[in-house]
Amino acid sequence: MTQHTLDAAGRGERLYLWRFTPLQRTLHALVIVSFLGLVLTGLPLRFAYAPWARVLVRAVGGLEAAGVIHRLCAIITFGYFLTHVGSLIYRKLRGTPWKRILWGPDSMVPQPKDLRDLIAMFKWFLGRGPRPQFDRYSYMEKFDYLGVFWGVAIIGSSGLLLWFPEFFAKFLPGWAFNVATIIHGDEALLAMSFIFTIHFFNVHLRPEKFPIDLVIFTGRATVDYLKEEHPLEYDRRREAGALEGLVAPPVSRLAYLWSIALGFASLGLGVLVIVLVLWAVLH
Amino acid sequence: MFKRTFSLLLGVLAASVWLGTAAHGQASQVVQCEKCHGSRDFMVGRAGGPQDSALYVPAAILQDTRHSGLRCPDCHRGYEAGYPHRVATRVVPCQTCHENAGRDWEASIHATNAVSQGDAPNCVRCHGTHVVVGVADRRSPTHPLNVAALCGSCHADPRITGTYFATASKAQARTAVAQFHKTVHGNALTRDGLIVSATCNDCHGAHKVLPADSAASSVNRRNIPATCGTCHVGVAEVYERSAHGVAYRSGQKNIQGHEAPVCVDCHSAHGIVRADQPQWLLGVVAECGACHERLYETYFETYHGKVTRLGFTLAATCSDCHTAHDMRPASDSRSSVFPSNLVATCARCHPAANENFARYRPHGDPKDRAKDPQLFWAWLFMTTLLFGVLTFFGAHTILWLTRVAIDRVRGGRGAGHPPHAGVPEPPGTEP
Repeated sequence: MTQHTLDAAGRGERLYLWRFTPLQRTLHALVIVSFLGLVLTGLPLRFAYAPWARVLVRAVGGLEAAGVIHRLCAIITFGYFLTHVGSLIYRKLRGTPWKRILWGPDSMVPQPKDLRDLIAMFKWFLGRGPRPQFDRYSYMEKFDYLGVFWGVAIIGSSGLLLWFPEFFAKFLPGWAFNVATIIHGDEALLAMSFIFTIHFFNVHLRPEKFPIDLVIFTGRATVDYLKEEHPLEYDRRREAGALEGLVAPPVSRLAYLWSIALGFASLGLGVLVIVLVLWAVLH
Repeated sequence: MFKRTFSLLLGVLAASVWLGTAAHGQASQVVQCEKCHGSRDFMVGRAGGPQDSALYVPAAILQDTRHSGLRCPDCHRGYEAGYPHRVATRVVPCQTCHENAGRDWEASIHATNAVSQGDAPNCVRCHGTHVVVGVADRRSPTHPLNVAALCGSCHADPRITGTYFATASKAQARTAVAQFHKTVHGNALTRDGLIVSATCNDCHGAHKVLPADSAASSVNRRNIPATCGTCHVGVAEVYERSAHGVAYRSGQKNIQGHEAPVCVDCHSAHGIVRADQPQWLLGVVAECGACHERLYETYFETYHGKVTRLGFTLAATCSDCHTAHDMRPASDSRSSVFPSNLVATCARCHPAANENFARYRPHGDPKDRAKDPQLFWAWLFMTTLLFGVLTFFGAHTILWLTRVAIDRVRGGRGAGHPPHAGVPEPPGTEP
């Protein structure tokens, strides 16, 4: 089983626990594919003056193809967004009260503990205290998650404005399209800059995890991984006697290879995008 | 009565005899020339003549030419009988008959250079010697389809252009002929065979060719609209009424000290391309931008500008909104960008455009708070957010990396973390 050592989520004792459901993993894969599609087709427009812009346009099949791909990926984006919101409503309908979806250790909503963790983290960075212990979701994961929420809402709505200007001009003044252009481009720049540097570092590239963490792809992590990354969740589940129910079979070789391929391809493209952005900005 | 009639008859007879003799004299002279110059054997062959093909000029050569009514001595004077001729014949100057053309040529740069350099073209260089046919004759070097090659025989010759267009300011003249052949006028002539298309002499004149910096030149800036307007009548009319045309006529300059543009400022002189070609559609923005700098920059901040920059030819460029030749300030009620005309202008591409739609800012400037406050605040908010988030998490990342590095230097690889992190365990350690 030692061939799994590239994967941070597979290190340590080979007892696996489920962490993400198939729906969550599918949605994350859709986020990756659609986001990369949007970035690669939108970037040449955002940095039209860059020397690589026309090359990238050609690489994705020309300007009109880029427009089509961008809109297709936008549809995927709206699709995963609505599916996720639907899944939250489904959880509620299946008996989980809103209180547990929107609050508590299994919720994505930021809570006082997240602020305390953030402060503790900076203290740890500066050697003034121990490293804080996270529950199911660290404040970084919550920020990533809410960032997608905010990003899809902001980029999505401004993108729709620019997609159907004649329709939206029925009730919006013309300058709204100028504003939408600024917001769409700059929020997209923020999203890609954040995902391809900070998210990549926090999740994959920091020394404890380097070079990749496949838990979002394979859906499972070793007990040791959970003890390190989410010790409070581990303790909570153990005390509740819920660990037994979470035990997962080791990941199949095929799923592992697919995860590695998608993971590294995305990491590589992301880093390439950062290089292009820096090239354009510093040019 | 009879006496008078007789004397009159005698006079007429005498006159006829004299005239007849004169005519006979000329005719006989041609026959005499023809004896030697009409004999290929004698002039070129081995019959003891000068063996010079240029001297083989049979009288029939003038048939079907503009000079078919002329005879050798009309142009070649000073003939003396006997061979070899002891005195060379003298050629009568062409302007003896062609007064206007001769006068124009004498005023031209060609004549000036002919005097000083000796290798500029004179009449026969362009029109030929004996076979002088009209410009409408396909054989003529001055036929519209042949003119570019004729002028090019010097103006595309690096030896000649290197001498006369040596200075940097005249550098473009060195490639003018080659460029002409690739562009709209040259294509129409050489590819499509259209003789109505402009060729060299249509813009530069045939005989009175003068450099562009000469005020009398047809290609001097002051004369360009009239020169192009000779053919492009409709465009010249519209241009005259436009902001550019009005400013050009009044000699008004803009704040950068530029004169108002004339035809060649946007279309170039020899590199004129069709206005429906991508090269033009994508390049015209730079021509306008050469003077309208800020509008040029802000245009490229918009979707129209960005896709145009990437090579998309359907998005609006300057002329789509401002028209190609009838551009006027937005304060002019006849302008395509006058507020009440905007909806119609937008609707040319966006059929469903309405009042709201037309309030789009096609040159919106987020840096100009007074002009575009909404854009300014949106830009400021987004920029603050961008730098804020990236700075905060950038610091977070760098500090994290530093902490891990310090811990590892101090306490080994796993310091600060559970022991397994990042360390591949040897085979066979699983439970």
